[in-house]
Amino acid sequence: MRMGKLRFLLALWAAKLSIPALKITRHNGTDFPGFLALKLCPDFLRYAGKPDTVVAVTGTNGKTTVSNMLSDALEALGHRVLTNRAGSNIISGISTAFVRNCDLLGRVRRCDIAVLEVDERSSPRIYPHVKPDLVVLTNLFRDSIMRNAHPYYIADILTRSIPAGAKLILNADDLISCSVCPDNARAYFGVGRMESDVTDCVNLIDDVRICPCCGGKLTYAYRRYHHIGKARCDACGFASPESDYLARQVDLSGRTMTVQEGESSFAYRLSSDSIFNAYNTLSVVAALRQLGYEHEKIVPVLENITVSSSRHSEETVGKVRLIRQMSKEKNALAGSRAFDYIAGRAGRKELLLMMNCLGDTRHWSENTCWIFDADFEFLNDPSIVQIVCAGARCRDYKLRLLMAGVPEDRILCEDDEFRAAERLSYTPGDDVYLLYGTDSLERAYRVYDRMKAYALERAQADEEANA
Amino acid sequence: MRCEVLFPEVCHLCGDGMNIRYLRQSCEAVEVIETPLNSRPVFLDGGVDLVYLGSATEDGLRRIVASLLPYRQEIEQRIDEGQWMLLTGNALDALGEYVDCDDGWRLDGLGLLPTHAEYHMMDRHNSFFLGTFEDGDFSTEIVGFKSLFGHTYGAGQEDPLFTLVRGVGRYPGCGVEGFRRNHLMATYLTGPLLILNPPFTGWLLRQLGCDGAPAFEEAAMENYRRRLEEFHDLHRDPLY
Ligand SMILES: [Zn+2]
Repeated sequence: MRMGKLRFLLALWAAKLSIPALKITRHNGTDFPGFLALKLCPDFLRYAGKPDTVVAVTGTNGKTTVSNMLSDALEALGHRVLTNRAGSNIISGISTAFVRNCDLLGRVRRCDIAVLEVDERSSPRIYPHVKPDLVVLTNLFRDSIMRNAHPYYIADILTRSIPAGAKLILNADDLISCSVCPDNARAYFGVGRMESDVTDCVNLIDDVRICPCCGGKLTYAYRRYHHIGKARCDACGFASPESDYLARQVDLSGRTMTVQEGESSFAYRLSSDSIFNAYNTLSVVAALRQLGYEHEKIVPVLENITVSSSRHSEETVGKVRLIRQMSKEKNALAGSRAFDYIAGRAGRKELLLMMNCLGDTRHWSENTCWIFDADFEFLNDPSIVQIVCAGARCRDYKLRLLMAGVPEDRILCEDDEFRAAERLSYTPGDDVYLLYGTDSLERAYRVYDRMKAYALERAQADEEANA
Repeated sequence: MRCEVLFPEVCHLCGDGMNIRYLRQSCEAVEVIETPLNSRPVFLDGGVDLVYLGSATEDGLRRIVASLLPYRQEIEQRIDEGQWMLLTGNALDALGEYVDCDDGWRLDGLGLLPTHAEYHMMDRHNSFFLGTFEDGDFSTEIVGFKSLFGHTYGAGQEDPLFTLVRGVGRYPGCGVEGFRRNHLMATYLTGPLLILNPPFTGWLLRQLGCDGAPAFEEAAMENYRRRLEEFHDLHRDPLY
């Protein structure tokens, strides 16, 4: 036996032994087994057995949802799927998935297909060893400038690391995604013109303004948000690709869409009213089609899949509706999409903003560039009657809101998030939003509990006043 | 007052564009003109009070240099005649001598600043910056952020824009940040430099002949003071 393989097996066994130990110490959700395996054998993934088919799901937004939907669908279609959904999407999480699914000789015998959610920046460490047959690229948007710089940088990393043999499933409405791996085989999905589309960009972030071929100005036949839409260059004729899987008649409130492939059309149900959900569902349909399934089989399978969302929840408490809306910290695009969504909904709204990064608050001082890329302008809307800015960056939010034209009397500043919850009005009939990041999840849930208590208190006071 | 924003179709990273909106909100008289790639900058023919160039992608930098190269001599002449110019983020690299990148990419810059950049594409530098700015009798503290692929080398400590207090200067170990050549000001600090530093913005407005105060001055100053406190706090390491 070669040394490398022997070292791999020792690493695998040690990592497998760590799993029951972690269970005892109640750490079973972590990446530790993979981390340990990589420590003992840095090219662990090279030696780990692979299922017959490997699908990688990557992209800025939606990759968790898409990989979960896709693996659920494949399970429902009779596959045994290897996934990293229990762990992270970086190399330690993916290695953990292989530790758990390999037998003692390092073979994957239980699973016939892998669906791996892969962090874009981790690609260079993963794809040399786990060669995907299919790569679903959901979209490429601006993310944290600290880690991801700009989306073309990420596109370049993907192009350099995705193997030549992988077929890409790409978002035709996103020209940055479309630029990835130009020589690889590819299929496109896209959403046709919608009533809410515009032609000129209303967002601050607009990363595809010039033609990737000649540098000429692009014109958009329609644009959904940011650079998502259908573009063409009048100077050289470059244009967005045609979609192989084209969603039409997308009815978000009715939660239906039609997917057109060639001459045929198929009706699909959507599990929520967000356009992202439509894109996510469409990319899953495209992946399943590429894996050889007919629409007639895919439609009923997707109807039975529930998309659990930790990003959005709503409930009526007292006389208001409380809404938790995630808006990833240091991420202008997430903020813009959340603000746009909130402004577009009916009713009067009160907002508590706490998207700041708590980790940075303790040891560093958060880089606030993202605030100036995010469309706070959407919050300058008469339906948004109160905005309480909370946390260490509350003064940054306030200044940005003033720059966006929000009247000062609608803005409150409060360093302490729990105090901020107290300062919301909870006016009967209002929708009261809590916007939080992934980093502040635990505190956000506690703040939300406090909001619930205040909402009930306020409703009670209101009852008494009316009695 | 006329402000020329060069190449907004590529110079729009890191919230940089907001610097100009802030100037406009601070001074009613500010008129903004946007000049697209591959066209002759308006300031070369006079009548522009401030030229602004913001952060771009690496491909964007290449396009900036290609657009400005035909006018290199004229730009240099305008700088020597006292044209006000502000460059933030990696826009500085377009005016330097060259950019050397560890993935094999290289870009020859305009050579208007005696410095060159070295990029490490898988090792992004993130830090906060605390420094001072001085001009004659005026001096103020400066706060800002760096989020870049590398640093700029070769100029030693000559002709800085800011003096380092905490964080990283032109390169690790260098006590100064950015460049000043006559009225050209270039800094690696990204994004909302003017919004985060209302005293500096007030000074700049006065130089440009605007007597207004920075917009939303009270909120901006409160924000500035709090950030200064954080950046002076020795328990916080400027390096991310
Ligand atoms: Zn073109």
